[in-house]
Amino acid sequence: MELLEINNLSKSFDGKKVLEDISLSVGQGEVVSIIGPSGSGKSTLLRCATFLETMDDGELSYCGKKVVSSENGKAVYPGKAEMQEAKSKFSLVFQNFNLFPHYNVLKNVTDAPIHVMKRNREEVYEEASEMLKKVGLSDKEKSYPCELSGGQQQRVAIARALVMNPEIIFFDEPTSALDPEITSGILKIMRELANEKMTMVVVTHEMDFARAVSDKVIFMDGGFIIEQGKPSDVIDNPNNERTKSFLKKLSL
Amino acid sequence: MQTNKKLTDVLHTVVSSALVCSMLMGICLLVAPLVSAVPDKTFTVGFDAEFPPYGYKDESGEYVGFDLDLAAEVCKRKGWELVKQPIDWDSKDMELESGAIDCIWNGFTLNGREDKYTWTVPYIDNSQVVVVKADSDVKNLSDLKGKVVAVQSDSSALAAFTGDDATEENKALANEFSELQQVGDYNTAFLNLESGMVQAVCLDYGVAKHQVSGKENVFRQLEDVVSTEKYAVGFKLGNTELRDQVQSTLLEMKKDGTFDSIARKWELQDSVCLSADTNQTENTMAVTSKKDGVNYMSMFLQLLEGMGSTLIIFALTLLFSLPLGLLLTFVRMSKFRPLQWLARIYISIMRGTPLMLQLLVVCFAPYYVFRINLGSSYRFYAVIIGFSLNYAAYFAEIFRAGIQSVPNGQREAASILGYSKVQTFVRIIFPQMIKNVLPPVTNEVITLVKDTSLAFALAYTELFIVAKQIAAAQANILPLFAAGLFYYIFNFVVAFVMNAIEKKLNYYK
Repeated sequence: MELLEINNLSKSFDGKKVLEDISLSVGQGEVVSIIGPSGSGKSTLLRCATFLETMDDGELSYCGKKVVSSENGKAVYPGKAEMQEAKSKFSLVFQNFNLFPHYNVLKNVTDAPIHVMKRNREEVYEEASEMLKKVGLSDKEKSYPCELSGGQQQRVAIARALVMNPEIIFFDEPTSALDPEITSGILKIMRELANEKMTMVVVTHEMDFARAVSDKVIFMDGGFIIEQGKPSDVIDNPNNERTKSFLKKLSL
Repeated sequence: MQTNKKLTDVLHTVVSSALVCSMLMGICLLVAPLVSAVPDKTFTVGFDAEFPPYGYKDESGEYVGFDLDLAAEVCKRKGWELVKQPIDWDSKDMELESGAIDCIWNGFTLNGREDKYTWTVPYIDNSQVVVVKADSDVKNLSDLKGKVVAVQSDSSALAAFTGDDATEENKALANEFSELQQVGDYNTAFLNLESGMVQAVCLDYGVAKHQVSGKENVFRQLEDVVSTEKYAVGFKLGNTELRDQVQSTLLEMKKDGTFDSIARKWELQDSVCLSADTNQTENTMAVTSKKDGVNYMSMFLQLLEGMGSTLIIFALTLLFSLPLGLLLTFVRMSKFRPLQWLARIYISIMRGTPLMLQLLVVCFAPYYVFRINLGSSYRFYAVIIGFSLNYAAYFAEIFRAGIQSVPNGQREAASILGYSKVQTFVRIIFPQMIKNVLPPVTNEVITLVKDTSLAFALAYTELFIVAKQIAAAQANILPLFAAGLFYYIFNFVVAFVMNAIEKKLNYYK
């Protein structure tokens, strides 16, 4: 079963098209990397998929259940309850973390499961400790975000996403705001998640990571999907001229 | 179980402050009915509490004076309950029209106002005289040429120089002055005179006598008289029924000698012009001396009472304006355009017009617009309503800025995690907003402490008005300094508390 399916998505800002006729699907346990130059629409695509932006037209399904449908060339969104249910299927890790500064690490991770999902407190705390251990921050439970480095904050953000038990996690350039030497730690955690068959969609500029971890790579430019396929095809043997020139620039 | 200790501490502080505020409000609500307890028939006398010897605040904090003694005697004979209502002199017509007071009885000059009120027969003949410094070279009226002369605003002295009925002589004389300066009260005028900022004060004979007595080495009264005038009790135009009752009782008092006895008590016997046909019999009335020297303890207690009122205005205004401001912020940030514009217009008016004017509107609009008489206890509510409405507008804009300065990423993260709109606001945005708005809110709170003195526009007796009244009654500026010191200390405490809260919230970012 496809966890995420997007058909013919289009989106424009102030009359300017930023996404056109985007279709893609993500299967259970798959890791999909989206690459492309800045302004190509990668982040907007992720924001449309996570309802931070509303698409103009197109269809969107999570776990085989249609959420957004297309009627007369317009995207139609469902009511509150259905949106809430769809939201429970995914989580998103931001480029600049967006931790809640007034909550300490543990509360950042546990607040939503306790107050939104109304889960049992003890259970949530137990799971949160486990997740924080997984990202290597067991000793920082009581710290506030401002006391952590960027890399540590991003790990908290990943733990926060994991505790929600999503079917699929989106990463929006998770290492772009970090110093290069810190990047590897975050990528290592993501690689572990991939090994555990976590379904992930990653917008990234890290070609090595995309090549090593992804099942599928999507190259976007100018609001279109130019090329998609196995990393060995798209990254190592691209067909399209635009993909070639993009990868050439990166390797310089 | 894990809890956020620091946030809990802050919440604890906020909640306990709210509790204190509610308690203060509770006290007010308990006291208010007592104040407004209504007997069978009340007789509310409006007077300017800074006008000795006719009506002022004595050392023990009581409103006393010649006119109030007369009114008390009339009420005693009629079986009415006397309510002494100090008013702001500039608002006297609104007070009378709206029925907040029954009459103006306070050295109220009849001449030139014959058609504006229903009058009793005049009972005092009061000339306008001029007081200069004892060592001044001014000997008669013509010497005032080129001098700065002070008069009270809207007073008979001012009318004597510039009014419609002023004599040509007086008008010409006034043109020769270097300046005809209007002052708010006589105490200020005499402070100006003593310090040399004005060279002469023109005022009612009785008031002049009161101010000069005991200070003959400082002040001197000219023998020339600017004008003569008569005092009577003024009622709302057409209210002859009440006028007749008061007038006949006054004549009765004149007949049996009580009136003259009261006049002697206040050293006004030379000015009395009320005449009764029958022979006067002496009435033995207790005569107490009015000058006992300055009683500092009593002065302190009165100021303390004024501070209480100031604190109540302060606490209640904050209690109502903060939540109202937040509500207004929601309306202002509403996606529904008409609502948004309503809030914009409200804020624009509240910030664009003087608070004093707003207080007057809140107090008198119910009568002038809707013809509803809310009674004299409404004065207090009007002060609180006026202040709260005004401060809510300022707080709303501060809150809006505070909400907008929370990064959008916070809302996005909350959306991804499934928080509802309400949860997002309560759990994520609001706590961060509080931290953002603390410095500008501190500014507003400090301004509010000082703005409470504007309640004088509605003659609500808070600290500043009490200080002014004592200063006027005792010709002593010490109470004003004491009031200033109180405002400063109060604000010092406010700044300290707000700083402590700010520090507590510094645990993040």
